[in-house]
Amino acid sequence: MKSSFNKHLIALLLIITSAFVAKAQDTRIQMNSLDHLAAKANQTVDVNVDERLMKLAARLFSDKDEDELKVKKLIEGLKGIYVKSFEFETEGQYVAADLEPIRAQLRGAGWTRLVNVISKKEGNVEVYLQFAGEMVNGLAVLHTDDKELTVVNIVGPVNLDKLAQLEGQMGIPDLGIESPKAKKKTNEQ
Amino acid sequence: MKRIATIALLLFASVPVVHAKGDDFNSVVKMIEDFYRVKHVGIPFLAKAGMKVATTAARIKGGTARRLAEAGSIKLAVFENQEFNGDFAKFRSSLNQALNETWMPLIQTVAAAGEEQTYIFLRNAGDKTNVLVITIEGRDATVVQVTLSAKNLALLLKDPEGTGKAITEEATLIDQE
Repeated sequence: MKSSFNKHLIALLLIITSAFVAKAQDTRIQMNSLDHLAAKANQTVDVNVDERLMKLAARLFSDKDEDELKVKKLIEGLKGIYVKSFEFETEGQYVAADLEPIRAQLRGAGWTRLVNVISKKEGNVEVYLQFAGEMVNGLAVLHTDDKELTVVNIVGPVNLDKLAQLEGQMGIPDLGIESPKAKKKTNEQ
Repeated sequence: MKRIATIALLLFASVPVVHAKGDDFNSVVKMIEDFYRVKHVGIPFLAKAGMKVATTAARIKGGTARRLAEAGSIKLAVFENQEFNGDFAKFRSSLNQALNETWMPLIQTVAAAGEEQTYIFLRNAGDKTNVLVITIEGRDATVVQVTLSAKNLALLLKDPEGTGKAITEEATLIDQE
C-alpha cells in the first residue's frame, strides 16, 4: 500500500517537474532562425547572458560594493538575457516571413502582448510577457524598423520597470520604453 | 573615449596576478591563424615576471608597458596588417564550438560584412573571472585574455561592448607605446 503511494507520489513529482522544465524552456525564445540575416546586415549584435553567467555574477557580487550591488539587484532572479539585433544599410533586407518563427513562439502558451506600451524608439516596438498564473516568467521585445530588427528575450521574473532599468545595460539596446512608474509620475504632474 | 579610458584604468588598476588556466587562448590564436591564414606577433605576456616582462615587451615594441605589467595576468596576441578574408559566419561558428565547454559567450558583434568582429567570452576562475576578447578590425586583430575582479565583472556586464573595447584598447595602447 505504502509502496503504491510512493510510486504515485514520484510519478506526480515527475509530472510537476517536467511541466516546470517545459515552462522554463518555453520562456527562452529560439532566435537561430534569424542567423541568415547576418550576411545581409551592416551590423549584428548577439548577447547571451545565460543562467550560468547569472549564477556566477550572483555568487561573486558583493552587497558592500555599490556597483556590484546595483548589477546584482538588477539581475536578481533572472535566468537569462538574450539579444539579437541587426542593422541594415538599405530597406527591405528582411521580410515578415523571417520573423514568423519568432512570432510563432510568441503565440505559444502563456505569452501575451502588452498593449499601450509607449516607446520613443522609431519603428514598431512590441512587448510580450509570459505569464504562469499571475507570475511573469519572461519577457520578449520585438523591434522592427525599415533598416533595423531587434529581438530581446529576458527569462525570469521581469516587468516593464525592470526592462526600463535594463535598457542600455547588459547588452540590451536602448528601446526608449517608458516605464509605468515614469508614466504615472508624468500623469500626476 | 574618456569614459573608455576611465573604465580601462579601473579595470587594470585592480587586477591581481593570476595564472591563466588552460590553453584556450593559444587555441584561439591558432584558430585565427589557420582560418584566415595569418600569423600573429607574439610577446610572452604573462605578467608573472612583472617589470622584467614589461621591460622585455617594451624593448620589443618600443614602449613602457608599465600599466599592463602592473595589471597582472594578461595574455595578448596581435595580428598586424594582414588579410582577414573568409566567411565570418563559419569563423564565428567554429569559435563558439571550440570554446563552448569552458567559456560562456557574452556578446558577439559583427559589422561591415565581417570586417569588424568582436567576441567576448567569460570563464569562472574561482573568486574572479577570466575574460577573452577577440577583435578583428580591417587588417588587424587582437586576442586578449585578462582576469577580472568581481567589481570589474560588474562593469563588463553593465556595458559589455564598451568594457570589452576598453580591454582591447588598453592592451593595444600599451603595446604601441
